[in-house]
Amino acid sequence: MIEKFSFLTSDFEKDVPKEMMLLSIISQSFFQPFSLEDNLLVILTALTSGSGVGFNRAMLFLRDGDRLRGQIWLGPRTPEEAGYIWDVLATPGIGYVEIIEHNRALVSKNEDTLSRRIKSVAFSMVDESCALVPAKPACLKEIYLVRDAANEALVDRKFLELIQVDEFLCLPLIARDEVFGEIILDNAFTRVPIGPGDVKLASLCGLIASNYLYSATLHRRLLDAEKMAAMGEMAMFVTHQLRNPLVTIGGFTDQLLQPEASEEKRERNLRIIRDEIQRLEKIVYQLGHFLKVSLKEPVYFDVGPVIAGVLRSPEVLDRSQGYTLNVKIEECLPQVLCDPTSFGEILRNLLDNAFEATPPGGTVSVRAYRKNSSSFVLSVRDSGRGISNPDKERLFQPFFTTKEKGMGLGLPFIKRVMDTCGGQIEVQSRPGKGARFRLVFQSRGGEEAP
Amino acid sequence: MKRILVVEDEKALCLLYGEELGRAGYEVTTAYDADAALQELQDKDFDLIITDIRMPGKNGIELITQIMGLRKDIPIIINSAYQSYKEDFMTWAADAYVVKSSSLDELKQKIRELIGE
Repeated sequence: MIEKFSFLTSDFEKDVPKEMMLLSIISQSFFQPFSLEDNLLVILTALTSGSGVGFNRAMLFLRDGDRLRGQIWLGPRTPEEAGYIWDVLATPGIGYVEIIEHNRALVSKNEDTLSRRIKSVAFSMVDESCALVPAKPACLKEIYLVRDAANEALVDRKFLELIQVDEFLCLPLIARDEVFGEIILDNAFTRVPIGPGDVKLASLCGLIASNYLYSATLHRRLLDAEKMAAMGEMAMFVTHQLRNPLVTIGGFTDQLLQPEASEEKRERNLRIIRDEIQRLEKIVYQLGHFLKVSLKEPVYFDVGPVIAGVLRSPEVLDRSQGYTLNVKIEECLPQVLCDPTSFGEILRNLLDNAFEATPPGGTVSVRAYRKNSSSFVLSVRDSGRGISNPDKERLFQPFFTTKEKGMGLGLPFIKRVMDTCGGQIEVQSRPGKGARFRLVFQSRGGEEAP
Repeated sequence: MKRILVVEDEKALCLLYGEELGRAGYEVTTAYDADAALQELQDKDFDLIITDIRMPGKNGIELITQIMGLRKDIPIIINSAYQSYKEDFMTWAADAYVVKSSSLDELKQKIRELIGE
């Protein structure tokens, strides 16, 4: 017999320890696709909610270079507000999702008071402020419980003015020996003294928060590195694409300047130079088009006339000379969800690739049909050289090309459009056996295929 | 007359290299891809090979690897638009790396260093 359990446990028995509840709240929220800010709010929620540690207020500082910068301040503004909030949170059946929702609303409600105040403060971790609380605990990587703050010389006066309590806990957020921030906790309204048990539980919470911040930072660094690598690859590719025509133009111009150059040679060189300039213009246009083009919102449109328009265009008719172009378009095509201009460009790109990959005399087939009542298929097949498996994996990467003079921007463009309109791309190919690109779009209307 | 094989997929550049290196006193044969270059190497003797890296079909590095299996003694110059590969050319068993430029002076200088006038 097998019994299944959900990851998201919401109802605990009454005798479940507080630590277990706390871990549950935090880990369950990390299970959700919450943003960094929401997950940080969850940690503060766990520290302030009745089912968690139960502090009155929690203040979060995140490290920004050599400074601790205020981010979120969660908690009521007045004792009356506190009483109301705790009544809400004590309502039977209220789960952590509701508590987070509530706290998100509380943070935005406090945007003009607590949050604005905390966002305007920062404490240096390098100069003399490092000797004072709140920077000192982060600098020394130690938890500080401050009592009688007004008479404690190690507390920054500016900070005391902000927090306006006598007792508070400073919890540095540290993972892999790196400081990510600090949480300040207090009981500004209940005035309940902070005990050793509260410190232990809060520090557990701090460890989880630190590890979360560590993994979020790693993830961001990875994305930045990927972006930089992509930019590096792009720069390298563009350099290559531009340098070849420039070298050709420069070399043939030098020949024009040679006194012995014949009239015939001069004319030939001028033609070569003109062709290379046109090529440069095309590269610059394609690059600008790919980098700057902002895709329009997808709309439902009649796909039949757009396909017919592309297939009848002079460029396609010209390009298909010497090939067999098989066209099988279903009658009464549906309305397809895509930007019509982008759809036309997709078909042009696919045809261009198909003709390029196929030797003259080969066959290129276009099919358009309803897959079912809500999806439509556009397929372009060729009898060309096919695509190897390693190349297949890189097909949609910008600047990857197997063409002699290609830019490698056609298929990435198609992918961008398909992602925008919620469509799918399927590629079937084997080396020497041609290739088929099958694009599935969302659609409506039209008649069912018999 | 020293013989040079130029492997370059850009036809206009092949024409330019053929004419300019010819003017400099070399006999130049051009090949538009690696397979054509390997064919030329089977048919003729060359004193030097100049090859691009990025070409359709086999790239220049694959070509060098195959040449090393056939003829280890022919000096090879890599002539590429990629400046960033310059530091790696020794690991590809080439004798020199010249970044493509509209002035062929550096290329001619390297050729002179490797095989003379």
